[in-house]
Amino acid sequence: MNRLFLALRFLRRDGRAGELTLLMFALIIAVGSSTAISLFANRINRTMNFQAAEFLAADLVLTSPDLITNDILAKAESLGLKQSKGTDFSSVLMENDEFLLVAVKAVSANYPLHGYLKIRQASYVQEQTVYHGPQMGEAWVETRILSALKLKLGDLLRVGEKSLLIAQILTYEPDKQGDLYSLSPRVMINASDLAETKILQPGSHVHHFYQFAGGEASILDFKRWLTPQLGVSQRIMDIYEDRPKLGSALQKAERYLGLSSIVVILISGVAIAMATRRYSERHFNSSAILRCLGYKQNEVLQLFLWQFAFIGLCASSIGCLLGWVTQEFLLHTLRELLPAKIATPSLLAVLFGIIIGVVVLFGFALPPLLRLKQVSPLRILRRDLVPLPSSAWLVYGLAIIVLLVLMSQYTEDMQMTLIIVGACALSLLIIAGLVYLILSASRYLLAYVNLTWRFGLQGLSKNRHSNIVQILAFSMTLLAIILSFTVRSDLINDWQKQLADDAPNHFALNIFADQKDALKLELKQQGIDVSQFYPVVRGRLVEINSQPVQQIVSKDSSGERAIHRDLSLTWSQAAAKDNRIIAGQWQEKRKPGFVSIEQKLAESLKVNIGDTLTFSIGSQQLKAEVDSIRKVDWDTMKPNFYMMFSPGSIDQFAHTYITSFYLPAKNKDLLNQLLKHYPAMTVLDVDLLLKQINRILSQLTAAINYLLYFALVAGFLVLFAAVQTTLDSRIYTGVLMRTLGAKRSFLQKIQWIEFSALGLIAGILAVLMSQLVIYALYYWVLKLDFTINLTLCLILPIVSAVLIGFAGFWGSRSVVNQSPMQVLREL
Amino acid sequence: MNSQIDKQRSSIINVDNLCKTVSTNNSHLTILSSVSFRIKAAESVAIIGASGSGKSTLLSLLAGLDVASSGSIEILGQSIGELNEDGRATLRNQLIGFVFQSFQLLPNLTALENVMLPLELKGNKNAKKLAADLLDRVGLSQRLTHTPNQLSGGEQQRVALARAFVTRPKILFADEPTGNLDSTTGKYIIDLLFELNRENQTTLILVTHDQRLAEHCERIIELKAGCIV
Repeated sequence: MNRLFLALRFLRRDGRAGELTLLMFALIIAVGSSTAISLFANRINRTMNFQAAEFLAADLVLTSPDLITNDILAKAESLGLKQSKGTDFSSVLMENDEFLLVAVKAVSANYPLHGYLKIRQASYVQEQTVYHGPQMGEAWVETRILSALKLKLGDLLRVGEKSLLIAQILTYEPDKQGDLYSLSPRVMINASDLAETKILQPGSHVHHFYQFAGGEASILDFKRWLTPQLGVSQRIMDIYEDRPKLGSALQKAERYLGLSSIVVILISGVAIAMATRRYSERHFNSSAILRCLGYKQNEVLQLFLWQFAFIGLCASSIGCLLGWVTQEFLLHTLRELLPAKIATPSLLAVLFGIIIGVVVLFGFALPPLLRLKQVSPLRILRRDLVPLPSSAWLVYGLAIIVLLVLMSQYTEDMQMTLIIVGACALSLLIIAGLVYLILSASRYLLAYVNLTWRFGLQGLSKNRHSNIVQILAFSMTLLAIILSFTVRSDLINDWQKQLADDAPNHFALNIFADQKDALKLELKQQGIDVSQFYPVVRGRLVEINSQPVQQIVSKDSSGERAIHRDLSLTWSQAAAKDNRIIAGQWQEKRKPGFVSIEQKLAESLKVNIGDTLTFSIGSQQLKAEVDSIRKVDWDTMKPNFYMMFSPGSIDQFAHTYITSFYLPAKNKDLLNQLLKHYPAMTVLDVDLLLKQINRILSQLTAAINYLLYFALVAGFLVLFAAVQTTLDSRIYTGVLMRTLGAKRSFLQKIQWIEFSALGLIAGILAVLMSQLVIYALYYWVLKLDFTINLTLCLILPIVSAVLIGFAGFWGSRSVVNQSPMQVLREL
Repeated sequence: MNSQIDKQRSSIINVDNLCKTVSTNNSHLTILSSVSFRIKAAESVAIIGASGSGKSTLLSLLAGLDVASSGSIEILGQSIGELNEDGRATLRNQLIGFVFQSFQLLPNLTALENVMLPLELKGNKNAKKLAADLLDRVGLSQRLTHTPNQLSGGEQQRVALARAFVTRPKILFADEPTGNLDSTTGKYIIDLLFELNRENQTTLILVTHDQRLAEHCERIIELKAGCIV
């Protein structure tokens, strides 16, 4: 305890001298950024977990195309689980000579087991929250059904052979899952009415949902018992594995934020290492004195370790606070992508920052600190005795391992982590080599410049190693910032520019067959050019060559995504103009029973020419042979399809139509007119969608940029640490020069030149690398035209030179402010 | 009387056949060669010699700051050569005080804190009072809160003296204590050093190249080219 108090007194005294300020700031930055991400991710995940049960309206859901056996229900009951049932199917309603495809859901008495529904009468003000479904004889409908079928509340709605009273307008249901085509409006009825509708016949295409809720142990027991008994088409969804999707944008944002925080930690770690090295070297004498006074080696080390542990705790706590504020900013920035209510973080997430802080501090500070243990007491008499550096790679290894573990958490793939780290390390080595050459070459300029510039540039080549570190830190950070700003805004704009001016900007879907010609005529009368109308049948791929598709596709592939949902199937005699046949043949007169598949999907599903695909459409199954594989240009803004059948293959199924058209902004009113005439039609405004995407991208990059600003601050700390490391020799040089007659302004100019040149090199490197990366991205990945951003190329290096020049100048101000007499006396 | 007292004092330091060689550029340099002597308790001994004669090396070996190449040094019957680094540190903590030419104060500590330091290292709870008393003794009671860079050379050396004596060491090693001081200040420091030495009955070993300073001591050991003359 005495030693601890002694260490704290030493710390207080060192703190008075400002020895540890930079180190603390670097640690605060590192902890702040990692805490922000940890809290952010933790809160989102807890929110999703809490919402999961609501999303499923239960703790566990069993989906099946057929009714399940009673022993499953009996088992659930024996485990004390609450149960409810839902049946989901499509149906066409006809009222008042109007037809409408709807999604009917028949729910049992206990529905929903979790969550709630919202219903209303005519007025929006009368919306209420309820915890049950419709009564027998009632139907709850979405409002567009009323307009489409010219009905109102209180009217009778015929579903199959059953007439039901439209009792409520349904505004929210918890477990509605959907894609574009599930934009079929909802009709919710009581399960007891289902039989009387007589809609469902053997072979009907229907989903049965069996919902269960109960204690975690019971649910898991039930799941364990049930899983081996599942049929091919049956599936279990539970709150542990089927959380609501974060949305790929948010998932990727979380990943990028995590990786950015690691960059911040790394740069801060460099600042910590440099600051600790200076601290250590300035305490060699103190260590020697302590050793003379009788302190043992381990006691000397302990004295400093206690101090650093305390620093770690204090700085980490402040960093956690900073992280908290930052994650609030992040949540606010990304609020559109997030649920309205966000859960509070777990205690572990809060403590994570402190743990990281202590680990990072000791990971980067330990090697220099260990030297203090090695200081010989003889150094008192022989100043030339300097302790040998520890095996730094072995000790920095701790920090590197921690960073690798953190990184693999965000990439969720250790192999990818190692590849990224390897690639980054290699790139850094190459760039470091390049910078080394530039700095070495700067010596050759000396002969051609005046005295001020000569001294300024000498500073660059003299402190080459620390300058390389600074330039790398700054240029990497600036590169990341440039990329995040540039790619976001350029990407959408450039992609849009490459579209023809009159490329379709609206998609119309859910067009009934008898409306197609009228719609086409109406659009033509308005002077609107419309693309080809394609029929659409909803169906699901279930087998390839009589083998269930689940056994063929790989996890997380586009193929896997394609088999877990209904696809939009179409037929056509002629291939679409922007589709290119790359395998097989598209016959001029295709016979029924053939299908053409899109190239990437074919690769993912491992489908070849001649393979037989089996589709489930409605209650029927249909086979078709693959006659060609197409390369599709998805950027034409015209309807495109993964599967295109030959005419006569699927014509007999109920289908709607899809098309696209260009509508100038001044004609947007026409949309209202169209929707009045064709209320069941769905129109997607691509411009709005792109604006939405742009907004989301802006929010995401703003969030990522918060972290990059941390990195920028960390970069400045590295600069200050590097300046501090060389400060004593700078002061000495400055003092000697002033003694010999140099003015302060001369010394100040030298410092400006040295640090501005450093900033200029970092800025030029950042700009060059950014243009290279963007070129590669545009050319190989996005297939867009690339143009050099001249404004950026000119402005950024200058801004970098000014900012870094100023920072370095400020950091080394004591060179001109110190009294020469005092310095010379201290020597 | 003095000779009687002298006879009664036992040896506190025994040096026997001490040698120190160092390796430089593929050759060996002998710094000390077969040095032997005894120092009695409370004796004051000056080790003199020209620059490069091995005085500081001898001091460092006697104080346990370095290890001899051969020979033995016993302090109060304990052979230093048998102790490891931590053992020597413990010995220094218990028995030895130091005064150096360049004062060697901790720059971030005040005068009071510098003097407290050896007591704090021993866990002495009265460190502050004892340190303040000693600083008062050396005439610096008004400078307790000043850091070394706020003190003159003489004042810094007085702080160093206070630090050296605060633990009442058995042995005090002083390496050119007036080397960085002007003659007037140097004389004051030497007088203070010997006063404190007498008060504390410390064995004083003083390394110096200044003959006049050496003559303050009871005995002089002169080194020349690593050997006692």
